[in-house]
Amino acid sequence: MSDNSKSGSGKEGKNLLFYCKNAALKLQGKAVDEFEIYGLASISNLIEIYNLNVENLSFSDTKGLGFRIFKDGRMGYAYTSNLEETEIEKCIEKAVDNSIITNKEQYNYLPQEEEFKYKKGLVDEKDLFSEKFMECSIEDKIKIAKQLEIITRKKDKRVKGISNLLYEDNLTDVNVINSAGFNGSYKTSSAFIYESVISREGSDNSTGDYFGYARDPEKLDTEMVAENAVKRSVMLLGAKKVKSQMGSVLLDPFVAAQFIGVIAGILAADTVQKGKSLFKGRIGEKIFNGDFNIIDDGTLKEGLSSKPFDGEGVPKGRTVIFDRGVLKTYLYNTFTARKNKTLSTGNAVRSSYKSPPAVGISNFYIEPSTTSFDNLIKRMDKGFYVMDIIGLHSGVNPISGHISVGAKGLWIEEGSISYPLKEVTIATDILSFCKNLEKIGSDIKYMPAGGYIGSPSMLIRNITISGN
Amino acid sequence: MIGLKLSKKVLNELLGKGVEFSEIFVQNRILNNLKLEDSKIESSSSGFELGCGLRIISGDSTYYAYVDSLSSDKILNAAKVLRSAVCSKLRKKTLDLSERKKPSEKAIDRHPFSVIQEDKKSFLLEVDFAARNHNPAIIQVTSNLSDLVENTYIANSEGFFCSDELVMVYLSVNAVARKGSEIRTGYKSIAKTKGYEIFFIKKPSDISIEASTIAVKMLDAENAPVGTMPVVLGPAFGGVIFHEACGHGLEADAVLKDASVYKGKIGKEIASPMVTAVDDATIPYHWGSYAFDDEGYPSEKNVLIENGILRSYIFDYKTAKKMKMKQTGNGRRQSFRDIPIPRMSNTYIENGSEDPSVIIKSVKSGVYAKEFAGGQVDPATGDFVFGISEGYIIENGNICAPIKNATLIGNGPEILKKIDAVGNDLDFAPGFCGKGGQSVSNEVGQPTILVSEITVGGTKVQENDNE
Repeated sequence: MSDNSKSGSGKEGKNLLFYCKNAALKLQGKAVDEFEIYGLASISNLIEIYNLNVENLSFSDTKGLGFRIFKDGRMGYAYTSNLEETEIEKCIEKAVDNSIITNKEQYNYLPQEEEFKYKKGLVDEKDLFSEKFMECSIEDKIKIAKQLEIITRKKDKRVKGISNLLYEDNLTDVNVINSAGFNGSYKTSSAFIYESVISREGSDNSTGDYFGYARDPEKLDTEMVAENAVKRSVMLLGAKKVKSQMGSVLLDPFVAAQFIGVIAGILAADTVQKGKSLFKGRIGEKIFNGDFNIIDDGTLKEGLSSKPFDGEGVPKGRTVIFDRGVLKTYLYNTFTARKNKTLSTGNAVRSSYKSPPAVGISNFYIEPSTTSFDNLIKRMDKGFYVMDIIGLHSGVNPISGHISVGAKGLWIEEGSISYPLKEVTIATDILSFCKNLEKIGSDIKYMPAGGYIGSPSMLIRNITISGN
Repeated sequence: MIGLKLSKKVLNELLGKGVEFSEIFVQNRILNNLKLEDSKIESSSSGFELGCGLRIISGDSTYYAYVDSLSSDKILNAAKVLRSAVCSKLRKKTLDLSERKKPSEKAIDRHPFSVIQEDKKSFLLEVDFAARNHNPAIIQVTSNLSDLVENTYIANSEGFFCSDELVMVYLSVNAVARKGSEIRTGYKSIAKTKGYEIFFIKKPSDISIEASTIAVKMLDAENAPVGTMPVVLGPAFGGVIFHEACGHGLEADAVLKDASVYKGKIGKEIASPMVTAVDDATIPYHWGSYAFDDEGYPSEKNVLIENGILRSYIFDYKTAKKMKMKQTGNGRRQSFRDIPIPRMSNTYIENGSEDPSVIIKSVKSGVYAKEFAGGQVDPATGDFVFGISEGYIIENGNICAPIKNATLIGNGPEILKKIDAVGNDLDFAPGFCGKGGQSVSNEVGQPTILVSEITVGGTKVQENDNE
């Protein structure tokens, strides 16, 4: 933890660079062909509020280094969160030792500039970090979190409690150094607030949650979070089952974004190359019946996954994956790009210093239309407006493509709300989902889930709704 | 890991005025992970994590901080800063610490440190060979082999300290089968709190063949049915139903926040009288087992439901104190960076008396769900889901065609009462459970059970049902 939760990043950044450079010096004396050091320092606060009391308050201030080494075409990896000299020494030895048993690959070497698809400098680093973040004290943050509870309780008489209200922020420094001469760093700030509201009417309970995200705590829109969490909770009071049928569904933007996230997972080139993607061999095919555009943009101004370079130092850019419904490309890091004889799209991702780079999304979204939500609901006429889903992890098999998840929301008849629904499932498969997506709205919203995923509301036909 | 003198100093430093509890949690972890895919060792990585978490409880509030180091200066400084977030004055009470001894030592035959890289590699190559050799339809095998050696030291202001070493080995296999444009998967894992001797009893190839068999069988799967119907849940992983439908709702933090449907139900009948359910972290070598929980409380066998009657919740230190109950040894945390919260360990439904084949025979038309992909619950409403990864149609008491992945959805309190038969073939399955952003090792278990009615979320709408 830091002596002062407000201070830090500037000083920490320097520290991190010092550790990275020091480790690089150690590596230069080792019998390895190439190496890469990924350093991450993060300062964060987590605050949980219950009944206007600070239930938990935690401070964290942590640093870690991950070492990727290449030797005779083999790769080894090790990380440590203990930055004492002897520990770093031990960790490097372990990375070298780990390389011995991994497979020899002709593509195992550090990224080269000519393999970059995008040029450097597309991201304004000032957008990733808010100086205002530093001005916010721990007391200010507690106040913001408590404020959310106060606003929420005033929204509706049926609100009986808040089972979970948390505030979390993060000040992160990333530093990547490799033996090919790359040395880059960037700094990000983010603040997150979340609540889950319980409402009650008679013996019926209903929960609804919502969240807000911003680069600095003061920008968190607690009013909007409270409004939505309460709405999602009280609107579903008195929910019942519906008769099983094949029908139309209208997905709320956050629900839609979760489905878009499933599609994102099988666009990673490694998944495709290993035969685990339904999109394998389908470049140039019209996957969506509609003319939808899906984009991965690591440079998006407001995007929380924006950064100047990816997990192995390759510049981020804007990649159009589906152009008017046609699959144009997969997402690549350098290893998978070499295999396909193409360029890296800058999609090497690392969730922390604890793992070697994998392939994944950054800001990933489906481009909104101009159709309003009201128009979508009228267009659907009759069907299930899905406000929340449960069981995405257990209910979606991204490899086989089967989708079956729990859902709750509102039954729509003649374009207007009829009654709330719960304990039903919606089921389809990934390719049918793409084919049956009829129309999308203008109301795009983003959620953090692996990357930063955005979608407007979606109207889909021919989905199985299972109830009784 | 750190001396007694330093422990006392830190605990005293944390004990400000109005602080009723202080704790130091030291952890050293060394972990290795090997991943096989495309018949190759794709990555081999290791991690070293060493640090110390500091906790203060004052009134209803918990304050937490940690350092990634065991340097006494850093720990003491962090303690001072953390305490000053609560109060400025120190309490004039000095602590004495006595050791809390482990009830028994569990032998480890093949400690991860003694297993060379080449041997680990050969386990994974054995997995790959067995799967591909099993059936030519297998087009991909992904397998992870992980080991972890964890040393912990805990001391707190209640006046005790304890230490422990935990050894864990985990192997998972995901097999992918293909026929034409149809792709299916099969998943199996083995995980124990012991060393590489886990492969003496069950070979890596055994796990691999089990996973491949599922993937290949599922190639012929038809669309799963829709609507409510009787479902027979197979042993072992079927226990995920209890974990989701009930277990999370019994965790005392949810109860205290009035966010559990099982609040105020102790002593009341909440399940079918056939159901006795237990959380037991003492079962030797099981994946969710430990000698002490992450607050240094000795693990124990805790009967949650006895013949349908709710007997106990799942407690950590703070929730037990607040509800004036005894701790149950379920205070767990992901690492020294996290606050401990009430969590399940090995949670299972006890054996009943029925023969599993008789249970299946009793179903005229329904589903047999054998393997699962996990689940999720909203403890405040009790609404839960879990996904079938290997399932079959039951027709006239016979297991028939395999069905595609489908989610089961239900409400906890309602489903517990609809358990109509409990078999005598109790078995366990390891996994991970996430809560409040923390993932911990977990085991679920049960014998074969029959749920008289639950909603199956397939895609096959009956003709006459379709409007």
